[in-house]
Amino acid sequence: MSFLSKKTVLEEFEKAKASKTKQWRDNLPTWCPGCGHFTGLHGLYEAAETLKIPPKDFVVVSGIGCSGRFPFFIKGFGLHGLHGRAIPIATGIKVASPDLTVVVVGGDGDGVGIGGGHFPHAARSNFNLTYILLDNSIYGLTKGQISPTSPMSMKSGTSPYGNIARPLNPTTLALAYGATFVARTFSRERDMVSELITKAISHKGFSFIHDLSPCVVFNKVVTYDSWNDAAVKLPEEHDTLDRSRAMMLAESTDPIYQGLFFREEIASFDDHVQMVKDGLNQPD
Amino acid sequence: MKYSEITIRFCGIAGDGIVASGKILAGACAYIGLHVMVNNIYSAEIRGLGKSSATIRFSTSKLYSMGDGLDLLVGMVSKESIIDLRNVKAGGNVIYDISTIGSVAEEDSLVSHITPEIQGHGLPIKKLANEATGTNQGKNLVAIGAICYFYSLPPEMFVNQINSVFAHKGQHIIDVNVKAFNLGYEYFKEHYPLNNRFEIDKESEPRALTSGNDAIAKGAIDCGLKFFAGYPITPATKIMEIAAKELPKLGGWTLQMEDEIAAIGAVLGAWFAGKRAMTATSGPGISLMSEMINMSVMAEIPTVIVNVQRGGPSTGLPTKVEQGDLNIALYGGAGDSPRVVMAPSNSEECYSGIQLAFDIAEKYQTPVIFLSDLFLGQRIETVTIKENIDRDRCTRKKPTSEQLEDFLRYQITDDGVSPMVVPGEPGAVYSTTGLEHSVTGNPNYESDVHSMMTAKRFRKFESMMADLPHANILGDETAEIGIAGWGSTIGSILEGMEIAKKNGVKTKLIKSIMIHPQREDLFLKFFASCKKIIVPEMNYQGQYAALLKSRYGIKPIEVHIPAVEPVSPLKIAQKIMEANSELSK
Repeated sequence: MSFLSKKTVLEEFEKAKASKTKQWRDNLPTWCPGCGHFTGLHGLYEAAETLKIPPKDFVVVSGIGCSGRFPFFIKGFGLHGLHGRAIPIATGIKVASPDLTVVVVGGDGDGVGIGGGHFPHAARSNFNLTYILLDNSIYGLTKGQISPTSPMSMKSGTSPYGNIARPLNPTTLALAYGATFVARTFSRERDMVSELITKAISHKGFSFIHDLSPCVVFNKVVTYDSWNDAAVKLPEEHDTLDRSRAMMLAESTDPIYQGLFFREEIASFDDHVQMVKDGLNQPD
Repeated sequence: MKYSEITIRFCGIAGDGIVASGKILAGACAYIGLHVMVNNIYSAEIRGLGKSSATIRFSTSKLYSMGDGLDLLVGMVSKESIIDLRNVKAGGNVIYDISTIGSVAEEDSLVSHITPEIQGHGLPIKKLANEATGTNQGKNLVAIGAICYFYSLPPEMFVNQINSVFAHKGQHIIDVNVKAFNLGYEYFKEHYPLNNRFEIDKESEPRALTSGNDAIAKGAIDCGLKFFAGYPITPATKIMEIAAKELPKLGGWTLQMEDEIAAIGAVLGAWFAGKRAMTATSGPGISLMSEMINMSVMAEIPTVIVNVQRGGPSTGLPTKVEQGDLNIALYGGAGDSPRVVMAPSNSEECYSGIQLAFDIAEKYQTPVIFLSDLFLGQRIETVTIKENIDRDRCTRKKPTSEQLEDFLRYQITDDGVSPMVVPGEPGAVYSTTGLEHSVTGNPNYESDVHSMMTAKRFRKFESMMADLPHANILGDETAEIGIAGWGSTIGSILEGMEIAKKNGVKTKLIKSIMIHPQREDLFLKFFASCKKIIVPEMNYQGQYAALLKSRYGIKPIEVHIPAVEPVSPLKIAQKIMEANSELSK
């Protein structure tokens, strides 16, 4: 098993802080040692660094849950919103101020449970947002109940006889919703996480990252080990413009593919707005 | 007979052009300088099922409500108009369609229900419409032509209106509608002697017409609205439609979201980014928004929410008026969550009030709930709006360079308002949250911090008092009967007070666009000067009365009207007379 220990991440964090002005947050991440979210946070640091996003123009919006604390650990503006509602809040920020870089961070319960109604519309509108869904298949902050991505039969405090519903697959949802950038990562793969978050932020349009990010405290079924055995990189020859092929690969549970499934460059929401403002589209 | 004020109702089924009838008549009257108010009543179904009516009241003097009773009922369809006969005043008139007589059963025929105190006038509405247009369309214009002759109104003013209302449909449509109008006019001229004359002041200037919804949209745009997010809902959608069309021209944008939670979420996001933003909704929508309103309170992110109230609870009565959302506006949130609640009473206040709502929300970093209602939102009335256009208006408290050195987003201040920076502005960054937080914005659950922060959030409501308009006292200051009202009911109250005055009873009214917070000193002084206090409102519980009772310790006569139609001024007058006779006992 290979993942980032809390110690490693804290070292990274300190390093990042030392290299910046005092506006780097003094807040230390609050997650449990071994939590997959450290890799996501690290990836976001790296992306902001690589892309040289000025903190004043960088906004991270989250919902509620363990992943909801991201805004307190990054250098930039942050909005820790309501459970499931990060996407609409981020949409308002981005549409009101299109020059900002806006990243949405949330969990599986947040994104495809309570907030599941917002995801399709942000994707199909092709807002220029990046959405990182950190999937641990559990409600961690309420101490371990099944989530919309928990496997069938999984037992938890609220499913003592086993989970009856089939799990949702956020990667295939994003593909079906029309997202123009869809990737899946695994928090074991630090470099891949950083690289894909960077690419996602650079993408013009709605970019989605499904990050498999195990909960080492409450989830005894979906673990580093269970994903470790199944997770492999996408075949090199995979054509990222082929949405149906991407869908087939994303549906596979053994192996679980990681990497960039799909990417297309079409007019983003901002481009459509510009066309209206340039007088190219008129009301009747 | 000579008239200086007339109320006419067109009654038909949905799709009959009833709304257009109201528009043409109102436009024509406003054009010659009359005061007009139009109220459309329609069902929640679009075609085929529902009855639809347009009531137009016009007068040589200022109108505050739809008044009581009809001078003329125009029954475009027979059966559905029968029930409206009871609203026709004694001595009033009915126009019915003689081309359908014989094709409907007697019990369904309008003419067979006309009582002796009402005068019936037959008009072949359908036949003449057919003659003019070749279809069943144009019935409304045939009736308008007849009305024009009936009250000896100048026909040119109507022809003007037909041209403007149907301009987007092309010359042919205009021509056939003018023809329908002329046929109706000529028919009445031929068959009925000219007995009525409406007094017109030829010197009057044309008046502007607007609806409350239009006035809110215009007011918001004129004071710098940059972003609107909403979800279609009767009767608030019009505001969103105006924003959708106008904002892109001014560098802004409107988003139709997937639900009301998303709408208010996006509005909060835009305010967080420093842009003036708004949503507009009605009962079911405001219910969904309550968690986000709480977030606005806790994170001190400004927001403006228009609630055009309709009948409730639940889906309720989507096309009928009620003032039932005061409680949810005031109290609809978990925890101690103060919010500003405003309620305009006419279209002028919709315009100026929404601008105040933006200034207050931005300056005091608070949600403002702006309670209009279906009647106020949709009625069309002649108004004198004092335009105030400043699209760069900003009342946000910005940090000083000293404060930027060590920026504290939730710094404790005397007035409770902390400096706010927005993304994109250099100087400082911060994160906010719906969790309780310390001065930095970081989550903090300590008891002292929570007490301090709660007090800060409430302190803003004291400091904003200086920026709020006074309560107005109207009527006779020496009166012993005082009335407190809110929202569109104010109009009916004012006319009820006039009726009482004609009957020798003096009254006074205290009205304030501010429901919370309120100028308590002025209210206390007013109530102390009254022997009887009447609080009329359009809901079953007496929601405003409950607020006034708990706030001022008064024991008012409560008039609860769970409304489907605007409040009758006569009903208010009756309550005043009752209170007066109790006083003189």
